[in-house]
Amino acid sequence: MQISSKELIFLIFIITFIFLLAPIFLITYITVYNKKKAKYLEEKEELRKVFELELLKSQIEVQERLMQNIADNLHDNIGQLLSLTSVTLSSISPESSQHEKIKTAGDLTIRAIRELRQLSKMMSAQEVIKKNLGHAIAVELDWLKKGTEFSIKFKDNTTHSNEEYADKELILFRLFQEILSNIIKHAQASVITIILDQVPGLLSLSVKDNGKGFAIEEKMKDGAGMGLHNISKRAMMMSGTLSIHSNPGSGTEILVSIPYL
Amino acid sequence: MHAYFTVNTITELICFLISLYCLFNERNNFWKSFIFYLLIVYLVETSGVYLRTLKHNNSMLYTAFLVAECAMMSLFFYHLYEKYKSKAALTLYGWLALFMVIFTLELSENRFAAFPYKTAAVMSVVFVFASCYFYLLVIKDEHFRQLGSYPSFWIVNGILFYYFGGTACNIFYDYLVHQQISPFGISVRYTIYNVLNILLYSCWSYAFICRYRQRNLSSSSL
Repeated sequence: MQISSKELIFLIFIITFIFLLAPIFLITYITVYNKKKAKYLEEKEELRKVFELELLKSQIEVQERLMQNIADNLHDNIGQLLSLTSVTLSSISPESSQHEKIKTAGDLTIRAIRELRQLSKMMSAQEVIKKNLGHAIAVELDWLKKGTEFSIKFKDNTTHSNEEYADKELILFRLFQEILSNIIKHAQASVITIILDQVPGLLSLSVKDNGKGFAIEEKMKDGAGMGLHNISKRAMMMSGTLSIHSNPGSGTEILVSIPYL
Repeated sequence: MHAYFTVNTITELICFLISLYCLFNERNNFWKSFIFYLLIVYLVETSGVYLRTLKHNNSMLYTAFLVAECAMMSLFFYHLYEKYKSKAALTLYGWLALFMVIFTLELSENRFAAFPYKTAAVMSVVFVFASCYFYLLVIKDEHFRQLGSYPSFWIVNGILFYYFGGTACNIFYDYLVHQQISPFGISVRYTIYNVLNILLYSCWSYAFICRYRQRNLSSSSL
């Protein structure tokens, strides 16, 4: 069968038409894909802003807590010690030699200095957190041990610290403070166990207490678990996971894990 | 005089004038070179018409122009890939060498008597792939670009329309040249290339306008 000239012309036109349609489809596809990319980038930018906002909130909260601790310490410890020193010194009469009272005043002054050093150490925890989460947690726990009767066990199994994750460490530290605060306020616990673990690609913090525990679902339902919501939200924001194990009467264990290289 | 006003010459002249207006104050020499290239295109086209009116064979003119066309397109893709930091830009010299080998072989085969259509066909395939690779770079690029007003994107669109749309003509080139089929009094190949030229130079003109507007916006925001 021979193909006529007219048919061939028609064929050439059809092929050319199809070959012109193909770029149109391709360009349309690229344009649609590009629009999707724009949407994805917008969402990514939005998430970045939310993360930065939460980071800022965490920083402020850590600072607020620090200021509260300083105020408490100044009022309860250093203030008391200096008052006692003042009373002791004023009771010494210039004529008599009262070695005992002078020695007491000296001891009180030394204790006040020690308290001040501890306070200063705690203030520098702000800087410590930027480099080492384990150290910052240890400083926080030292502070807690001093003023309370809790039996505290802390295990730091971290192998290395990555400065790139300093922001995430700060948020994790803030979560730790929130969990600790909840235990002190509500748990009625006597033993607190903290384990900071690191496996390739993951940093996890486990906080366990032997307190009264709670029914997780009920707490969430009645809206009393705003602290838990906050912890969960921040863990998710760091692409991490939060798991809570608790039952009334059997204590609570909270595990926060975040990606960490 | 009337013979010089063909669809091709008018399209090329309009595109040249737009490039002259939009790219004359362009700081990037690469973009500026489009003015020079389009001037050559227009001169070649009108010279082709002139030779045709004298009943001379104008294939040698288009053969010589093929080298300029290949160089310009190749340099354009080189510039484009370099902007995306793609290693494909390094293949430029290899491709130009391959082109020259094929071109010389075909010319010596037909003793410089006919247009090297096989070389043109190979070149078309290479530029179609180069265009697709550019799209891939656009997709993979982390930065978002507004494609509707992205000049390079429209230059590539024009190239893709022109070279991909001309595939049928490349396949049937031998037949079309020898049969001289002319359903509307004009050869089929000529009719198709009129359409392709309109598409190519429309896309390019739009790209030059986008470039002009971008340059004006960036200079006014300084």
